[in-house]
Amino acid sequence: MSTLTKFSAIPYTGPAPTNRNPYIPSDVAVHDARGAALAEKLQHAAMQQETGQDLPTFIVEKSAIVNVLTVLRDHPELRFTMPLDCWGVDYPRREKRFDVLYQLYSLQNNERVRLKVMVGEDESIDSGINVFKGLDWFEREVWDMFGIRFDGHPNLRRILTHEAFQGHPLRKDYDPAQRWLLTEKDVAQLTPVIDDRFKDVDTDFERVTLNLGPSHPATHGTLRIVVTLDGETIIGADQEIGYLHRCFEKMSETHTYQQVIPFTDRLNYCSAIINNVGYCLTVEKLLGIEAPARAQHVRLMLSEFMRIADHLVCIGTNLVDMGALTNFWYLFQPREEIYGLIEACCGARLLPSYLRIGGLAVDVPTDFLQNAQRLVDMIPKYIDDVEKLVDRNKVFLDRVVGVAPISPEDAIAYGFTGPCLRACGVPFDVRKSNPYIGYETYDFDVPIAEGGDTYARYLVRMEEMRQSLRILQQAIDRGLPEGPVMVDNPYVALPPKEKVYNEMESLIYHFKLIMHGIQPPVGEAYFQVEGGNGELGFHVVSDGTKNPYRVRVRPPCFAIYQAFGKMITGQTIPDAVAALGSLNIIAGELDH
Amino acid sequence: MAIERVSPGVVRVVPNKLSVSERMYIPQVLAGMVLTLRHLVKNLFNMKGLPTISYPEVKRVYSERFRGRHILTTREDGTTRCVACYMCSTACPAECIKIEAGEDERTREKFPQRYEIDLLRCIFCGYCVDACPEDAIYMTRDYEMAIDTRARSVVGLRDLVVPPNFPVEPMGWRPYYGSIDKHGTAGGTGIGQPKREAPFADDAPLNPDLYRGA
Repeated sequence: MSTLTKFSAIPYTGPAPTNRNPYIPSDVAVHDARGAALAEKLQHAAMQQETGQDLPTFIVEKSAIVNVLTVLRDHPELRFTMPLDCWGVDYPRREKRFDVLYQLYSLQNNERVRLKVMVGEDESIDSGINVFKGLDWFEREVWDMFGIRFDGHPNLRRILTHEAFQGHPLRKDYDPAQRWLLTEKDVAQLTPVIDDRFKDVDTDFERVTLNLGPSHPATHGTLRIVVTLDGETIIGADQEIGYLHRCFEKMSETHTYQQVIPFTDRLNYCSAIINNVGYCLTVEKLLGIEAPARAQHVRLMLSEFMRIADHLVCIGTNLVDMGALTNFWYLFQPREEIYGLIEACCGARLLPSYLRIGGLAVDVPTDFLQNAQRLVDMIPKYIDDVEKLVDRNKVFLDRVVGVAPISPEDAIAYGFTGPCLRACGVPFDVRKSNPYIGYETYDFDVPIAEGGDTYARYLVRMEEMRQSLRILQQAIDRGLPEGPVMVDNPYVALPPKEKVYNEMESLIYHFKLIMHGIQPPVGEAYFQVEGGNGELGFHVVSDGTKNPYRVRVRPPCFAIYQAFGKMITGQTIPDAVAALGSLNIIAGELDH
Repeated sequence: MAIERVSPGVVRVVPNKLSVSERMYIPQVLAGMVLTLRHLVKNLFNMKGLPTISYPEVKRVYSERFRGRHILTTREDGTTRCVACYMCSTACPAECIKIEAGEDERTREKFPQRYEIDLLRCIFCGYCVDACPEDAIYMTRDYEMAIDTRARSVVGLRDLVVPPNFPVEPMGWRPYYGSIDKHGTAGGTGIGQPKREAPFADDAPLNPDLYRGA
């Protein structure tokens, strides 16, 4: 066998990937048993269990989907109250070509369930919007990308593409080279629906409809919010997104698995490494490999640094929007230092592309731990400074307390995750509920706050940075495990360069990997990590070739931002600006 | 803010209750101003410790892994190391590398007749460096790539090829930095490759672009 091992003396003796064999998840027995138990409990005629998946999975008859969703939500022992995601996959050669997939989460039991509905080309499916409010934008996205109609959806417009777009881009028969130009007359004329509370209220003011954005300094990205004002009060709001749509999912289908990593950087560009981690872990799950301990340790540390950077940006810019520029400078200094650490590892600051499937691109520099310790020592000072300036500041408190609140029930129904959900008092954190890369071995707390308003979100983020520092301190104390940073598998990892230059066999592996890419077995895998804004999930479908058949990203912002219109109704424009900053909407992730 | 424990692994952040003086606002404004002034005074006497860089005069020092503008390395005999194998253009996620291969009449070796990188398309991910089997493409620490026309964003061999024995000092992302001592030149290590003394002693180079240099 090959002698590609750089670090260990044991040559690779594992099997060559037989990529036409189906993918079997490692914990398939657990999920199959749980799925059978659920089927036993529900006794639903329209639900048929699909075994061999990485989650309890059911194939649901199309006509019964609303009923199934309701039953799963209301069952007293199950309580699948949170709609995490809804997306589609296209299999054009099948009789019913589309799969519409739902993923629900039960906070009560900490478990997930996946539902699959097969839909034919000219068929429509019932909208689940009356069961879960959070399915609103997800269904619009499926309509936009696949052209599957949702009956009963009140506002089934295009969401990521524009009004002049023709065709549905994620269908397999859509030619990606087409271009559609949007002219000024095609731009969507949005008139927000006026909230019931203000419908027949007679005031002295004229009602004005106003565009906030897409290029507004307070949106920190290209977001368009149309508000109807009664005097200064917002009585109706609608959001338009998609200005930064870069076809991430379509592009992934035409690139190799390794080439998708730079694209994932650009999802949430404030915490790019977490996106890398999420994507790489998903593909590694599909391949059935695990990165070496040293790589996992570095991944965890950089994820936490990135989470701090994400929160620093969020709080810093949020305070700038409220006129507190000093905090921005105090918070951006540690962010700068964090980017310096990332740059020392991989040579880029904002968009690192540091991870590879199977490990890291290169080992960390020798002074990595010292630099990390220096950062962990210096960051609290800056956080404390900001806390001193802001925490007991009456102007700040007047701007944020009680602004844009959302109740825990609403937040769950909208599919909120991350700091925005924890600000409502729901302690849901993927690092605790589904620990990955060793989070279960670290001692840290999940901060929650009461109220769900802008202030609570600020409090949660501040405390979360301190908890991240706790994790980092423990990680530094443990030290980096010795060993390689890349798996020892020539079908996944590029051989070391000096062997490529000198050995024929290594050169062949090198050529094979670049030309034919990594070829995972046929199957689908979902994996979720805790991103800066909440659960960041990747669903990768492989058909055994070098390109992913389908990559679905579940951006946390997407679920959060759809509730924004409801949250700011009844508030004023300055409140809307403060609330928008506190949600930390990253357009790159929102529009994927 | 105060922290109270709810359950193992979960803490609640409790907001502050403002005291009377804090609610009066003016004392707090002054207290905040004191903090800002303290930073100001501290910085006034410690100008060297300021994090701000006066950019065009002072340049930021990046690590030796920095992914900046590319170069194509040259063997000691003056020929480019690139053998036009198309690995970099295949690995490139942004599809920004265009290569046209030619064949050397005497040595029957492939070499790039044209090698163009569109720096506006390039996302500086470093995949081309990782993919190169010949140690031929490096990234430098040069990040000043401002141009005034779109056409100038496409750089060819004339801009990319460096002379032999080009110093390794400004190099950024390149294969196995650190693990092998590369304090010599950026001409590629060429481990295991036969060393040629001169290109073709009897003849002038075919392409002046390829054979320029020391």
